[in-house]
Amino acid sequence: MANLNSDQAKQLSDNFYLLGVAIGDFRYHNWGRLAYEENKELSATQYSFLKYGEDILALATTLVMDEVIDSMEKINTITIEINGTIRTLTNIQKGLDLAAAVLILGVAIMNRDTKGIGNSIKGVYETWKGPIT
Amino acid sequence: MKKYFDPKHSLNFLFLLFSFTGCVNLKTVGEFAGISMVSIKNFEHIEYSFYQHCVDRCRDEAIRKYEIKRAEECICTLYQEADSVTQVIYNSIEGYFEGLGNLSQNELTDYSSDALISALSAKELGPMRIEEQTVAAFSSLSNTLLRATTNSYRRKKLASYIEEANEPMRVLLGKFKLIVGTNLKGELRFKKERLYARYMDMKMNNTLHSDYEKGEATSDYYQALDKIQRKEMVLEVFAKSLDEIAQGHQILYDNRNKLSVKILKGILQGYSSNVKDLISEFNKLNN
Repeated sequence: MANLNSDQAKQLSDNFYLLGVAIGDFRYHNWGRLAYEENKELSATQYSFLKYGEDILALATTLVMDEVIDSMEKINTITIEINGTIRTLTNIQKGLDLAAAVLILGVAIMNRDTKGIGNSIKGVYETWKGPIT
Repeated sequence: MKKYFDPKHSLNFLFLLFSFTGCVNLKTVGEFAGISMVSIKNFEHIEYSFYQHCVDRCRDEAIRKYEIKRAEECICTLYQEADSVTQVIYNSIEGYFEGLGNLSQNELTDYSSDALISALSAKELGPMRIEEQTVAAFSSLSNTLLRATTNSYRRKKLASYIEEANEPMRVLLGKFKLIVGTNLKGELRFKKERLYARYMDMKMNNTLHSDYEKGEATSDYYQALDKIQRKEMVLEVFAKSLDEIAQGHQILYDNRNKLSVKILKGILQGYSSNVKDLISEFNKLNN
């Protein structure tokens, strides 16, 4: 037998709702004619129908999961790719800063400036390790 | 040669060229994604869930049966599962629009080559000197080119993501709408019916005697009904906004290869404006 889908579950829920309402209306229209026990029993049935209807509606929601699993996987993959692209774009700024640091280091090496080389290496390291802006 | 090469005019020309081909559309996509995200995030402000509905039902039943227990007994596993499914779908949709919004933000590619310029004009360069004017021209040109290149890259990427995402996003938004606007709202229909049955039983059983008690009960009933109906409206408005977002995304999809066309801005603004109105309506109802 095929599994229930969310639309069928929703239809069932509607049916239980209508049954619950119908039993309630029947009780109120025939209040004087119903024995106490009969009324009590019908009331219990009325509330049971409403409860079934509510439960099936919650069940219908859980069934949606089976119907969206493919779409959700696709969207999650696309979102990961978008965030990857954003990361690439933010890395460009870091690359620019790093290029500047390396340029200064190169000049320090050309000038054989030992103090400058030390400072520049530190600068390159800090730029490299620094957070992505 | 110098006569034909004017760096200032060249830069102006490049700037104009890239302004026309780049900025407007990214801004439009960014605005639409931004407003969609605000609207979708309103889900977190809906003060109702499947679990809450289950707990309320247990409370209503205890009141109806006049059951007093040391601790409330309420099994709501199915309802918690329904909330989990809803939450997972919400997270996917929200994550996508957040990414789309971020990718189309101008700040993202507002690069600065200041560090490089400072390095070029630094005194440590020793005897080599670069004129200040040349450094400034290099700065403007490099920033403009960087932005233009990356804007074009972003447009291409956005077009490709929108294309891939349209169908799954249509399914997810549709199901999210069904869950909130039909299923969760549908639970409230049962809540209303139980409320009606409780007060009708009270009336038919002649439980209340004085006119004052009857008046109070009637007033209580309608106040409770109002509260439920307000919740229904909140859910309905939220569901409507999901529809508008789906339609807006469809427009983006239809125009994905001409993201720089000004018409897109006009069409999309209509959907953005509708979503904005629904956000405002949602906030009014939810307060």
